[in-house]
Amino acid sequence: MGAFLYAIQDLTHVYRGKPVLRIDRLEIPAGCIVGVIGPNGSGKSTFLRLAGFVEKPTAGEIAYNGKPAVPFSSEVRHKVSLMSQEPFLMKRTVLNNVAYGLRIRNDLDRLEQRVHTALAWVGLDAKEFAKRPSYALSGGEAQRVALAARLILKPEVLLLDEPTASIDALSAQLIKDAALKAQRDWGTTLIIASHDWQWLYGVCDRVVHLVRGRLMGSGRENIIFGPWEPGENGLWSKVLSDGQRILVQKPPEALSAAVIDHAFIVPADQPFLDGETQVRLTGLITRLALEKASGDIVGSVLVANIPFTAALTENQVLENGLYPGRRVHLLYDVNSVRWF
Amino acid sequence: MDFLLQGLLKAFELLTTGDAETFSAVYATLIVSAYSLAVTLITGLPLGFCLGYFDFTVKKQVRVMVDTLLSLPTVFIGLLVYAFFTNRGPLGEWGLLFTLPGIAVGLTILALPIVIALSATAIESMDRQLRVALISLGANRRQLFLSTLWEARLSILAAALTAYGRVMTEVGIAMMVGGNIKWQTRTITTAIALETNKGEFAMGIALGLVLLLIAFGVNVSVSSLRKRY
Repeated sequence: MGAFLYAIQDLTHVYRGKPVLRIDRLEIPAGCIVGVIGPNGSGKSTFLRLAGFVEKPTAGEIAYNGKPAVPFSSEVRHKVSLMSQEPFLMKRTVLNNVAYGLRIRNDLDRLEQRVHTALAWVGLDAKEFAKRPSYALSGGEAQRVALAARLILKPEVLLLDEPTASIDALSAQLIKDAALKAQRDWGTTLIIASHDWQWLYGVCDRVVHLVRGRLMGSGRENIIFGPWEPGENGLWSKVLSDGQRILVQKPPEALSAAVIDHAFIVPADQPFLDGETQVRLTGLITRLALEKASGDIVGSVLVANIPFTAALTENQVLENGLYPGRRVHLLYDVNSVRWF
Repeated sequence: MDFLLQGLLKAFELLTTGDAETFSAVYATLIVSAYSLAVTLITGLPLGFCLGYFDFTVKKQVRVMVDTLLSLPTVFIGLLVYAFFTNRGPLGEWGLLFTLPGIAVGLTILALPIVIALSATAIESMDRQLRVALISLGANRRQLFLSTLWEARLSILAAALTAYGRVMTEVGIAMMVGGNIKWQTRTITTAIALETNKGEFAMGIALGLVLLLIAFGVNVSVSSLRKRY
Protein backbone atom coordinates (compact mmCIF):
# COMPACT_ATOMS: atom_id res chain seq x y z
CA MET A 1 0.00 0.00 0.00
CA GLY A 2 2.78 2.40 0.94
CA ALA A 3 4.37 2.31 -2.52
CA PHE A 4 1.38 3.99 -4.09
CA LEU A 5 0.45 7.65 -3.88
CA TYR A 6 -3.24 6.75 -3.88
CA ALA A 7 -4.66 3.53 -2.51
CA ILE A 8 -8.44 3.41 -2.76
CA GLN A 9 -10.21 0.57 -1.03
CA ASP A 10 -13.93 -0.36 -0.93
CA LEU A 11 -14.99 3.16 -1.81
CA THR A 12 -18.69 3.93 -2.06
CA HIS A 13 -20.29 7.30 -2.59
CA VAL A 14 -24.01 7.85 -2.35
CA TYR A 15 -25.80 10.96 -3.56
CA ARG A 16 -29.38 11.54 -2.42
CA GLY A 17 -29.76 7.89 -1.52
CA LYS A 18 -28.47 6.71 -4.91
CA PRO A 19 -25.04 5.04 -5.20
CA VAL A 20 -23.04 7.01 -7.77
CA LEU A 21 -19.58 5.53 -7.34
CA ARG A 22 -18.21 2.20 -6.18
CA ILE A 23 -14.54 1.33 -6.46
CA ASP A 24 -13.36 -1.90 -4.88
CA ARG A 25 -9.68 -1.20 -5.35
CA LEU A 26 -7.58 1.31 -7.25
CA GLU A 27 -3.94 2.19 -6.82
CA ILE A 28 -2.16 5.08 -8.46
CA PRO A 29 1.63 5.47 -8.28
CA ALA A 30 3.26 8.88 -7.86
CA GLY A 31 4.28 10.89 -10.90
CA CYS A 32 2.11 9.11 -13.43
CA ILE A 33 -0.66 10.38 -15.68
CA VAL A 34 -4.00 8.64 -15.26
CA GLY A 35 -6.88 9.23 -17.64
CA VAL A 36 -10.49 8.70 -16.64
CA ILE A 37 -12.98 8.17 -19.42
CA GLY A 38 -16.64 7.31 -19.42
CA PRO A 39 -20.00 8.58 -20.59
CA ASN A 40 -21.72 11.57 -19.01
CA GLY A 41 -23.05 10.72 -15.56
CA SER A 42 -20.69 7.79 -15.15
CA GLY A 43 -19.16 9.20 -11.95
CA LYS A 44 -15.99 10.81 -13.36
CA SER A 45 -16.53 14.15 -11.62
CA THR A 46 -17.52 12.43 -8.38
CA PHE A 47 -14.35 10.35 -8.53
CA LEU A 48 -12.24 13.46 -9.08
CA ARG A 49 -13.92 15.33 -6.20
CA LEU A 50 -13.24 12.40 -3.88
CA ALA A 51 -9.67 11.91 -5.10
CA GLY A 52 -9.20 15.69 -4.84
CA PHE A 53 -10.30 15.50 -1.19
CA VAL A 54 -13.01 18.04 -1.76
CA GLU A 55 -15.69 15.61 -0.58
CA LYS A 56 -15.60 12.72 1.83
CA PRO A 57 -16.76 9.35 0.50
CA THR A 58 -19.89 7.88 2.03
CA ALA A 59 -17.92 4.73 2.87
CA GLY A 60 -14.47 3.34 2.26
CA GLU A 61 -11.04 4.83 2.41
CA ILE A 62 -8.68 6.82 0.28
CA ALA A 63 -5.11 6.53 1.50
CA TYR A 64 -2.65 9.18 0.35
CA ASN A 65 1.00 8.29 0.68
CA GLY A 66 -0.08 5.37 2.83
CA LYS A 67 -2.16 7.43 5.27
CA PRO A 68 -5.96 7.69 5.22
CA ALA A 69 -6.91 11.22 4.24
CA VAL A 70 -10.09 13.28 4.20
CA PRO A 71 -10.90 16.86 3.14
CA PHE A 72 -8.88 19.48 5.08
CA SER A 73 -6.44 16.92 6.47
CA SER A 74 -2.89 18.20 6.58
CA GLU A 75 -1.58 15.26 4.50
CA VAL A 76 -3.38 16.55 1.41
CA ARG A 77 -4.52 20.16 1.91
CA HIS A 78 -1.51 21.80 0.29
CA LYS A 79 -0.59 18.94 -2.00
CA VAL A 80 -3.67 17.97 -4.01
CA SER A 81 -5.51 20.40 -6.26
CA LEU A 82 -8.60 19.88 -8.38
CA MET A 83 -9.69 22.00 -11.31
CA SER A 84 -13.38 21.59 -12.06
CA GLN A 85 -14.98 21.57 -15.46
CA GLU A 86 -16.54 24.99 -14.82
CA PRO A 87 -13.62 27.30 -14.11
CA PHE A 88 -14.64 29.16 -10.97
CA LEU A 89 -12.82 32.40 -10.42
CA MET A 90 -13.39 34.67 -7.46
CA LYS A 91 -14.64 38.23 -7.87
CA ARG A 92 -11.11 39.59 -7.92
CA THR A 93 -8.48 40.47 -10.45
CA VAL A 94 -6.59 37.76 -12.30
CA LEU A 95 -3.52 38.51 -10.16
CA ASN A 96 -5.46 38.06 -6.93
CA ASN A 97 -7.09 34.88 -8.18
CA VAL A 98 -3.76 33.30 -9.10
CA ALA A 99 -2.10 34.55 -5.90
CA TYR A 100 -4.91 33.30 -3.60
CA GLY A 101 -3.36 29.90 -2.85
CA LEU A 102 0.02 31.40 -2.00
CA ARG A 103 -1.55 34.13 0.16
CA ILE A 104 -3.45 31.67 2.33
CA ARG A 105 -0.20 29.74 2.77
CA ASN A 106 1.43 33.04 3.77
CA ASP A 107 3.98 32.40 1.03
CA LEU A 108 4.40 35.99 -0.14
CA ASP A 109 7.96 35.94 -1.42
CA ARG A 110 8.16 37.54 -4.91
CA LEU A 111 4.42 37.03 -5.18
CA GLU A 112 3.73 39.21 -8.20
CA GLN A 113 6.66 37.83 -10.14
CA ARG A 114 5.54 34.27 -9.50
CA VAL A 115 2.02 35.11 -10.62
CA HIS A 116 3.42 36.51 -13.85
CA THR A 117 5.43 33.33 -14.40
CA ALA A 118 2.37 31.14 -13.75
CA LEU A 119 0.34 33.18 -16.22
CA ALA A 120 3.09 32.72 -18.79
CA TRP A 121 2.87 28.93 -18.33
CA VAL A 122 -0.71 29.05 -19.59
CA GLY A 123 0.06 31.49 -22.38
CA LEU A 124 -1.34 34.65 -20.78
CA ASP A 125 0.57 37.92 -20.89
CA ALA A 126 0.73 39.25 -17.33
CA LYS A 127 0.89 42.88 -18.49
CA GLU A 128 -2.41 42.45 -20.27
CA PHE A 129 -4.22 40.14 -17.87
CA ALA A 130 -2.90 40.54 -14.30
CA LYS A 131 -5.03 43.57 -13.41
CA ARG A 132 -8.08 42.44 -15.34
CA PRO A 133 -11.16 41.51 -13.28
CA SER A 134 -12.20 37.88 -13.57
CA TYR A 135 -15.55 38.75 -15.16
CA ALA A 136 -13.74 40.29 -18.15
CA LEU A 137 -12.25 36.98 -19.29
CA SER A 138 -13.43 34.61 -22.02
CA GLY A 139 -14.17 30.96 -21.14
CA GLY A 140 -10.79 29.78 -22.38
CA GLU A 141 -8.90 32.55 -20.59
CA ALA A 142 -10.79 31.88 -17.35
CA GLN A 143 -9.91 28.18 -17.60
CA ARG A 144 -6.25 29.06 -18.11
CA VAL A 145 -6.26 31.46 -15.14
CA ALA A 146 -7.83 28.71 -13.02
CA LEU A 147 -5.04 26.35 -14.09
CA ALA A 148 -2.36 29.00 -13.39
CA ALA A 149 -3.82 29.41 -9.87
CA ARG A 150 -3.13 25.72 -9.30
CA LEU A 151 0.19 25.42 -11.12
CA ILE A 152 1.68 28.25 -9.04
CA LEU A 153 1.24 25.96 -6.01
CA LYS A 154 3.31 23.21 -7.69
CA PRO A 155 0.93 20.53 -6.38
CA GLU A 156 1.89 16.90 -5.92
CA VAL A 157 -1.37 15.90 -7.58
CA LEU A 158 -3.36 17.87 -10.11
CA LEU A 159 -6.83 16.61 -10.99
CA LEU A 160 -8.38 18.05 -14.11
CA ASP A 161 -12.08 17.55 -14.81
CA GLU A 162 -12.79 17.98 -18.52
CA PRO A 163 -10.11 20.68 -18.77
CA THR A 164 -10.58 21.24 -22.48
CA ALA A 165 -14.35 20.91 -22.79
CA SER A 166 -16.16 23.88 -24.33
CA ILE A 167 -13.11 26.09 -24.81
CA ASP A 168 -11.29 27.23 -27.93
CA ALA A 169 -8.62 25.06 -29.56
CA LEU A 170 -5.71 27.34 -28.60
CA SER A 171 -6.70 27.44 -24.93
CA ALA A 172 -7.18 23.67 -24.96
CA GLN A 173 -3.68 23.13 -26.36
CA LEU A 174 -2.11 25.57 -23.88
CA ILE A 175 -3.87 23.83 -20.99
CA LYS A 176 -2.70 20.42 -22.15
CA ASP A 177 0.88 21.66 -22.53
CA ALA A 178 0.91 23.39 -19.12
CA ALA A 179 -0.47 20.31 -17.35
CA LEU A 180 2.12 18.05 -18.96
CA LYS A 181 4.87 20.53 -18.07
CA ALA A 182 3.88 20.21 -14.41
CA GLN A 183 4.19 16.45 -14.63
CA ARG A 184 7.51 16.65 -16.45
CA ASP A 185 9.15 19.41 -14.36
CA TRP A 186 7.89 18.70 -10.84
CA GLY A 187 6.73 15.09 -11.08
CA THR A 188 3.14 16.14 -10.48
CA THR A 189 0.73 13.22 -10.69
CA LEU A 190 -1.99 14.07 -13.19
CA ILE A 191 -5.49 12.58 -13.03
CA ILE A 192 -7.50 13.76 -16.00
CA ALA A 193 -11.14 13.11 -16.83
CA SER A 194 -11.87 13.91 -20.44
CA HIS A 195 -13.91 12.94 -23.45
CA ASP A 196 -10.81 13.62 -25.53
CA TRP A 197 -9.71 9.99 -25.35
CA GLN A 198 -7.31 10.45 -28.23
CA TRP A 199 -5.30 12.88 -26.05
CA LEU A 200 -5.64 10.64 -23.00
CA TYR A 201 -4.43 7.54 -24.82
CA GLY A 202 -1.53 9.59 -26.16
CA VAL A 203 -0.28 10.96 -22.83
CA CYS A 204 -1.57 8.68 -20.08
CA ASP A 205 0.37 5.91 -18.42
CA ARG A 206 -2.95 4.37 -17.58
CA VAL A 207 -6.55 4.94 -18.64
CA VAL A 208 -9.43 3.79 -16.46
CA HIS A 209 -12.97 3.46 -17.69
CA LEU A 210 -15.86 4.46 -15.44
CA VAL A 211 -19.33 3.25 -16.30
CA ARG A 212 -22.33 3.72 -14.04
CA GLY A 213 -19.99 4.49 -11.18
CA ARG A 214 -17.90 1.32 -11.55
CA LEU A 215 -14.38 0.86 -12.87
CA MET A 216 -14.48 -1.08 -16.10
CA GLY A 217 -10.86 -1.55 -17.11
CA SER A 218 -8.65 0.21 -19.62
CA GLY A 219 -11.23 2.10 -21.62
CA ARG A 220 -10.91 -0.03 -24.73
CA GLU A 221 -14.12 -1.85 -23.82
CA ASN A 222 -17.18 -1.06 -25.85
CA ILE A 223 -20.19 -0.60 -23.65
CA ILE A 224 -23.63 -0.77 -25.20
CA PHE A 225 -26.57 0.17 -23.03
CA GLY A 226 -29.97 -1.52 -23.37
CA PRO A 227 -32.85 -1.83 -23.90
CA TRP A 228 -32.47 -5.19 -25.63
CA GLU A 229 -35.26 -6.95 -27.42
CA PRO A 230 -35.59 -10.66 -28.27
CA GLY A 231 -34.82 -11.55 -31.89
CA GLU A 232 -34.12 -14.58 -34.09
CA ASN A 233 -32.13 -17.72 -33.20
CA GLY A 234 -32.39 -17.05 -29.50
CA LEU A 235 -30.33 -13.88 -29.80
CA TRP A 236 -31.33 -10.46 -28.51
CA SER A 237 -30.67 -7.23 -30.29
CA LYS A 238 -30.50 -3.46 -30.12
CA VAL A 239 -31.59 -1.71 -33.30
CA LEU A 240 -29.40 1.25 -34.26
CA SER A 241 -30.62 4.43 -35.93
CA ASP A 242 -29.46 3.21 -39.38
CA GLY A 243 -31.24 -0.14 -39.02
CA GLN A 244 -28.16 -2.23 -38.11
CA ARG A 245 -28.53 -4.59 -35.17
CA ILE A 246 -26.10 -5.26 -32.34
CA LEU A 247 -26.64 -8.91 -31.50
CA VAL A 248 -26.03 -10.45 -28.08
CA GLN A 249 -26.94 -13.55 -26.13
CA LYS A 250 -29.91 -13.23 -23.75
CA PRO A 251 -29.12 -10.39 -21.31
CA PRO A 252 -29.68 -10.71 -17.54
CA GLU A 253 -32.12 -7.79 -17.81
CA ALA A 254 -33.55 -5.90 -20.75
CA LEU A 255 -31.69 -2.74 -19.63
CA SER A 256 -28.34 -4.40 -18.88
CA ALA A 257 -25.19 -2.94 -20.45
CA ALA A 258 -23.28 -5.21 -22.84
CA VAL A 259 -19.48 -5.14 -22.75
CA ILE A 260 -17.61 -6.04 -25.93
CA ASP A 261 -13.96 -6.35 -24.95
CA HIS A 262 -12.47 -7.27 -28.29
CA ALA A 263 -13.66 -5.96 -31.59
CA PHE A 264 -11.81 -6.20 -34.89
CA ILE A 265 -11.69 -3.79 -37.76
CA VAL A 266 -11.50 -4.90 -41.40
CA PRO A 267 -11.97 -2.75 -44.50
CA ALA A 268 -15.54 -2.91 -45.77
CA ASP A 269 -14.43 -3.58 -49.37
CA GLN A 270 -12.26 -6.59 -48.54
CA PRO A 271 -13.79 -10.09 -48.63
CA PHE A 272 -13.76 -12.12 -45.42
CA LEU A 273 -15.49 -15.20 -43.99
CA ASP A 274 -18.30 -14.64 -41.54
CA GLY A 275 -17.96 -16.93 -38.53
CA GLU A 276 -21.04 -18.61 -37.10
CA THR A 277 -21.00 -16.57 -33.96
CA GLN A 278 -19.44 -13.49 -35.47
CA VAL A 279 -21.42 -10.27 -35.68
CA ARG A 280 -20.63 -7.74 -38.37
CA LEU A 281 -21.39 -4.03 -38.13
CA THR A 282 -20.50 -1.40 -40.65
CA GLY A 283 -19.20 2.05 -39.81
CA LEU A 284 -16.60 4.73 -40.45
CA ILE A 285 -13.19 5.11 -38.82
CA THR A 286 -13.31 8.46 -37.07
CA ARG A 287 -9.97 8.51 -35.24
CA LEU A 288 -6.73 6.61 -34.81
CA ALA A 289 -4.65 7.29 -31.69
CA LEU A 290 -1.38 5.92 -30.35
CA GLU A 291 -1.69 4.51 -26.84
CA LYS A 292 1.32 5.65 -24.80
CA ALA A 293 1.19 2.77 -22.29
CA SER A 294 1.00 -0.15 -24.75
CA GLY A 295 2.27 1.34 -27.99
CA ASP A 296 -0.90 0.04 -29.67
CA ILE A 297 -2.94 2.06 -32.08
CA VAL A 298 -6.51 2.51 -30.90
CA GLY A 299 -9.11 3.01 -33.60
CA SER A 300 -12.53 4.54 -33.15
CA VAL A 301 -15.32 3.41 -35.46
CA LEU A 302 -18.66 5.16 -35.55
CA VAL A 303 -21.46 2.66 -36.14
CA ALA A 304 -24.70 4.58 -36.62
CA ASN A 305 -24.31 7.00 -33.70
CA ILE A 306 -22.36 4.68 -31.38
CA PRO A 307 -18.55 4.96 -31.18
CA PHE A 308 -16.66 1.66 -30.88
CA THR A 309 -12.97 1.24 -30.14
CA ALA A 310 -10.61 -1.51 -31.16
CA ALA A 311 -6.88 -2.05 -30.76
CA LEU A 312 -4.82 -2.30 -33.93
CA THR A 313 -1.22 -3.09 -34.70
CA GLU A 314 0.88 -0.93 -36.98
CA ASN A 315 0.84 -3.75 -39.58
CA GLN A 316 -2.95 -3.96 -39.54
CA VAL A 317 -3.21 -0.24 -40.13
CA LEU A 318 -0.66 -0.28 -42.94
CA GLU A 319 -1.73 -3.51 -44.67
CA ASN A 320 -5.44 -2.72 -44.58
CA GLY A 321 -4.97 0.94 -45.37
CA LEU A 322 -6.95 2.10 -42.36
CA TYR A 323 -7.39 5.81 -41.96
CA PRO A 324 -10.05 8.15 -40.58
CA GLY A 325 -12.97 8.32 -42.99
CA ARG A 326 -12.48 4.76 -44.28
CA ARG A 327 -15.59 2.58 -44.34
CA VAL A 328 -14.96 -0.59 -42.34
CA HIS A 329 -16.59 -3.62 -40.80
CA LEU A 330 -16.43 -4.05 -37.07
CA LEU A 331 -16.47 -7.69 -35.98
CA TYR A 332 -17.04 -9.29 -32.62
CA ASP A 333 -17.97 -12.69 -31.27
CA VAL A 334 -21.48 -12.79 -29.87
CA ASN A 335 -20.37 -15.29 -27.20
CA SER A 336 -17.64 -12.98 -25.92
CA VAL A 337 -20.09 -10.31 -24.79
CA ARG A 338 -20.03 -9.70 -21.05
CA TRP A 339 -22.79 -8.07 -19.04
CA PHE A 340 -22.52 -5.16 -16.67
CA MET B 1 -48.84 72.69 3.80
CA ASP B 2 -46.85 75.43 5.47
CA PHE B 3 -45.57 73.08 8.12
CA LEU B 4 -43.70 71.06 5.49
CA LEU B 5 -41.73 74.10 4.42
CA GLN B 6 -41.32 75.12 8.04
CA GLY B 7 -40.05 71.61 8.79
CA LEU B 8 -37.46 71.88 6.06
CA LEU B 9 -36.24 75.23 7.33
CA LYS B 10 -36.29 73.98 10.93
CA ALA B 11 -34.20 70.94 9.96
CA PHE B 12 -31.63 73.21 8.40
CA GLU B 13 -31.66 75.39 11.50
CA LEU B 14 -31.34 72.47 13.91
CA LEU B 15 -28.37 71.08 12.11
CA THR B 16 -26.55 74.31 11.43
CA THR B 17 -27.01 75.77 14.91
CA GLY B 18 -25.98 72.53 16.59
CA ASP B 19 -29.21 72.21 18.61
CA ALA B 20 -28.24 70.21 21.69
CA GLU B 21 -31.53 68.32 22.03
CA THR B 22 -31.48 67.27 18.39
CA PHE B 23 -27.88 66.17 18.54
CA SER B 24 -28.61 64.23 21.74
CA ALA B 25 -31.31 62.30 19.84
CA VAL B 26 -28.99 61.81 16.85
CA TYR B 27 -26.27 60.55 19.19
CA ALA B 28 -28.66 58.13 20.92
CA THR B 29 -29.89 56.85 17.54
CA LEU B 30 -26.39 56.31 16.20
CA ILE B 31 -25.22 54.61 19.40
CA VAL B 32 -28.08 52.13 19.64
CA SER B 33 -28.05 51.35 15.93
CA ALA B 34 -24.25 50.89 15.91
CA TYR B 35 -24.29 48.63 18.98
CA SER B 36 -27.13 46.51 17.70
CA LEU B 37 -25.70 46.26 14.18
CA ALA B 38 -22.28 45.24 15.49
CA VAL B 39 -23.74 42.45 17.65
CA THR B 40 -26.11 41.44 14.85
CA LEU B 41 -23.33 41.10 12.28
CA ILE B 42 -20.97 39.26 14.65
CA THR B 43 -23.61 36.68 15.54
CA GLY B 44 -25.85 36.81 12.48
CA LEU B 45 -23.27 36.34 9.74
CA PRO B 46 -21.89 33.01 11.05
CA LEU B 47 -25.44 31.79 11.68
CA GLY B 48 -26.55 32.92 8.21
CA PHE B 49 -23.47 31.26 6.72
CA CYS B 50 -24.28 27.96 8.46
CA LEU B 51 -27.92 28.16 7.41
CA GLY B 52 -27.04 28.88 3.79
CA TYR B 53 -23.97 26.67 3.48
CA PHE B 54 -24.67 23.44 5.29
CA ASP B 55 -27.34 20.86 4.69
CA PHE B 56 -28.84 19.47 7.87
CA THR B 57 -32.02 17.63 8.71
CA VAL B 58 -34.08 20.51 10.10
CA LYS B 59 -32.72 23.16 7.73
CA LYS B 60 -36.09 23.87 6.11
CA GLN B 61 -37.80 24.23 9.48
CA VAL B 62 -35.09 26.58 10.75
CA ARG B 63 -35.39 28.61 7.56
CA VAL B 64 -39.17 28.93 7.98
CA MET B 65 -38.66 30.01 11.59
CA VAL B 66 -36.10 32.68 10.65
CA ASP B 67 -38.32 33.93 7.83
CA THR B 68 -41.25 34.12 10.25
CA LEU B 69 -39.16 36.17 12.67
CA LEU B 70 -38.71 38.74 9.91
CA SER B 71 -42.30 39.73 10.60
CA LEU B 72 -41.86 39.99 14.35
CA PRO B 73 -43.82 43.11 15.51
CA THR B 74 -41.50 45.64 17.10
CA VAL B 75 -43.92 46.37 19.93
CA PHE B 76 -43.94 42.67 20.76
CA ILE B 77 -40.14 42.65 20.91
CA GLY B 78 -40.34 45.80 23.05
CA LEU B 79 -42.80 44.08 25.35
CA LEU B 80 -40.64 40.96 25.69
CA VAL B 81 -37.45 42.93 26.35
CA TYR B 82 -39.32 45.14 28.81
CA ALA B 83 -40.64 42.05 30.59
CA PHE B 84 -37.14 40.60 30.89
CA PHE B 85 -35.44 43.85 31.96
CA THR B 86 -38.05 45.20 34.35
CA ASN B 87 -37.19 44.92 38.06
CA ARG B 88 -39.49 41.91 38.42
CA GLY B 89 -38.15 40.30 35.26
CA PRO B 90 -35.50 37.53 35.08
CA LEU B 91 -32.81 40.00 33.91
CA GLY B 92 -33.99 42.93 36.02
CA GLU B 93 -30.78 43.06 38.04
CA TRP B 94 -28.81 43.94 34.91
CA GLY B 95 -30.37 47.41 35.08
CA LEU B 96 -30.78 47.72 31.34
CA LEU B 97 -34.34 49.06 31.29
CA PHE B 98 -34.52 52.69 30.10
CA THR B 99 -30.91 52.62 28.90
CA LEU B 100 -29.35 52.80 25.45
CA PRO B 101 -27.82 49.27 25.74
CA GLY B 102 -31.33 48.04 26.65
CA ILE B 103 -32.71 49.52 23.43
CA ALA B 104 -29.77 48.01 21.51
CA VAL B 105 -30.70 44.54 22.85
CA GLY B 106 -34.23 44.93 21.49
CA LEU B 107 -32.97 46.24 18.16
CA THR B 108 -30.55 43.30 17.90
CA ILE B 109 -33.48 40.91 18.26
CA LEU B 110 -35.19 42.85 15.49
CA ALA B 111 -32.19 42.89 13.13
CA LEU B 112 -30.85 39.39 13.72
CA PRO B 113 -33.43 37.53 11.57
CA ILE B 114 -32.87 40.04 8.76
CA VAL B 115 -29.11 39.45 8.67
CA ILE B 116 -29.44 35.68 9.10
CA ALA B 117 -32.10 35.30 6.40
CA LEU B 118 -30.49 37.61 3.84
CA SER B 119 -26.93 36.34 4.36
CA ALA B 120 -28.18 32.73 4.19
CA THR B 121 -29.85 33.55 0.88
CA ALA B 122 -26.65 35.22 -0.34
CA ILE B 123 -24.55 32.17 0.58
CA GLU B 124 -27.11 29.74 -0.86
CA SER B 125 -27.18 31.57 -4.16
CA MET B 126 -23.39 31.41 -4.54
CA ASP B 127 -21.88 29.07 -7.07
CA ARG B 128 -21.28 25.66 -5.48
CA GLN B 129 -17.99 25.55 -7.34
CA LEU B 130 -16.63 28.22 -4.99
CA ARG B 131 -16.25 25.65 -2.22
CA VAL B 132 -14.49 23.22 -4.57
CA ALA B 133 -12.18 25.98 -5.81
CA LEU B 134 -11.25 27.21 -2.33
CA ILE B 135 -10.56 23.74 -0.93
CA SER B 136 -8.61 22.86 -4.07
CA LEU B 137 -6.42 25.92 -3.55
CA GLY B 138 -5.64 24.79 0.00
CA ALA B 139 -8.08 26.77 2.15
CA ASN B 140 -8.70 25.50 5.68
CA ARG B 141 -12.15 25.77 7.29
CA ARG B 142 -11.60 29.30 8.61
CA GLN B 143 -10.24 30.52 5.28
CA LEU B 144 -13.17 28.82 3.52
CA PHE B 145 -15.63 30.70 5.77
CA LEU B 146 -13.93 34.07 5.39
CA SER B 147 -13.34 33.77 1.64
CA THR B 148 -16.94 32.70 1.06
CA LEU B 149 -18.20 35.70 3.02
CA TRP B 150 -15.87 37.93 1.05
CA GLU B 151 -17.19 36.57 -2.23
CA ALA B 152 -20.73 37.29 -1.04
CA ARG B 153 -19.71 40.72 0.25
CA LEU B 154 -22.07 42.78 -1.89
CA SER B 155 -25.13 40.75 -0.91
CA ILE B 156 -24.01 40.76 2.73
CA LEU B 157 -23.51 44.51 2.56
CA ALA B 158 -27.09 44.78 1.29
CA ALA B 159 -28.24 42.63 4.23
CA ALA B 160 -26.37 44.85 6.68
CA LEU B 161 -27.84 47.99 5.10
CA THR B 162 -31.36 46.57 5.28
CA ALA B 163 -30.84 45.72 8.95
CA TYR B 164 -29.34 49.14 9.63
CA GLY B 165 -32.28 50.88 8.01
CA ARG B 166 -34.67 48.81 10.08
CA VAL B 167 -33.00 49.49 13.45
CA MET B 168 -32.44 53.16 12.79
CA THR B 169 -36.07 53.85 11.93
CA GLU B 170 -37.55 51.64 14.65
CA VAL B 171 -39.81 53.34 17.19
CA GLY B 172 -41.73 50.70 19.21
CA ILE B 173 -38.74 49.10 20.92
CA ALA B 174 -37.02 52.44 21.55
CA MET B 175 -40.17 53.82 23.11
CA MET B 176 -41.01 50.82 25.34
CA VAL B 177 -37.51 49.78 26.42
CA GLY B 178 -35.90 53.24 26.36
CA GLY B 179 -38.80 55.20 27.80
CA ASN B 180 -38.07 58.24 25.58
CA ILE B 181 -36.13 60.02 28.36
CA LYS B 182 -34.87 63.42 27.26
CA TRP B 183 -31.06 63.65 27.05
CA GLN B 184 -30.83 59.95 27.91
CA THR B 185 -32.73 57.51 25.73
CA ARG B 186 -34.62 59.75 23.34
CA THR B 187 -33.86 58.67 19.78
CA ILE B 188 -34.83 60.52 16.63
CA THR B 189 -37.88 58.32 16.04
CA THR B 190 -39.21 58.59 19.60
CA ALA B 191 -38.60 62.35 19.45
CA ILE B 192 -40.64 62.54 16.22
CA ALA B 193 -43.48 60.59 17.90
CA LEU B 194 -43.38 62.97 20.87
CA GLU B 195 -43.28 66.14 18.79
CA THR B 196 -46.17 64.91 16.66
CA ASN B 197 -48.21 64.20 19.80
CA LYS B 198 -47.46 67.73 20.95
CA GLY B 199 -48.63 69.09 17.59
CA GLU B 200 -45.11 70.27 16.71
CA PHE B 201 -45.25 68.97 13.14
CA ALA B 202 -42.43 71.16 11.89
CA MET B 203 -40.07 69.81 14.57
CA GLY B 204 -41.19 66.26 13.75
CA ILE B 205 -40.56 66.76 10.06
CA ALA B 206 -37.20 68.35 10.81
CA LEU B 207 -36.13 65.33 12.83
CA GLY B 208 -37.43 63.03 10.09
CA LEU B 209 -35.28 64.86 7.58
CA VAL B 210 -32.27 64.49 9.87
CA LEU B 211 -32.91 60.76 9.94
CA LEU B 212 -33.10 60.68 6.15
CA LEU B 213 -29.85 62.62 5.95
CA ILE B 214 -28.07 60.05 8.12
CA ALA B 215 -29.47 57.21 5.99
CA PHE B 216 -28.30 59.03 2.88
CA GLY B 217 -24.80 59.43 4.34
CA VAL B 218 -24.58 55.73 5.20
CA ASN B 219 -25.74 54.71 1.73
CA VAL B 220 -23.30 57.02 -0.01
CA SER B 221 -20.44 55.57 2.06
CA VAL B 222 -21.48 52.01 1.26
CA SER B 223 -21.92 52.84 -2.39
CA SER B 224 -18.37 54.20 -2.59
CA LEU B 225 -17.13 51.01 -0.88
CA ARG B 226 -18.94 48.92 -3.51
CA LYS B 227 -17.27 50.83 -6.31
CA ARG B 228 -13.89 50.39 -4.67
CA TYR B 229 -14.17 46.58 -4.54
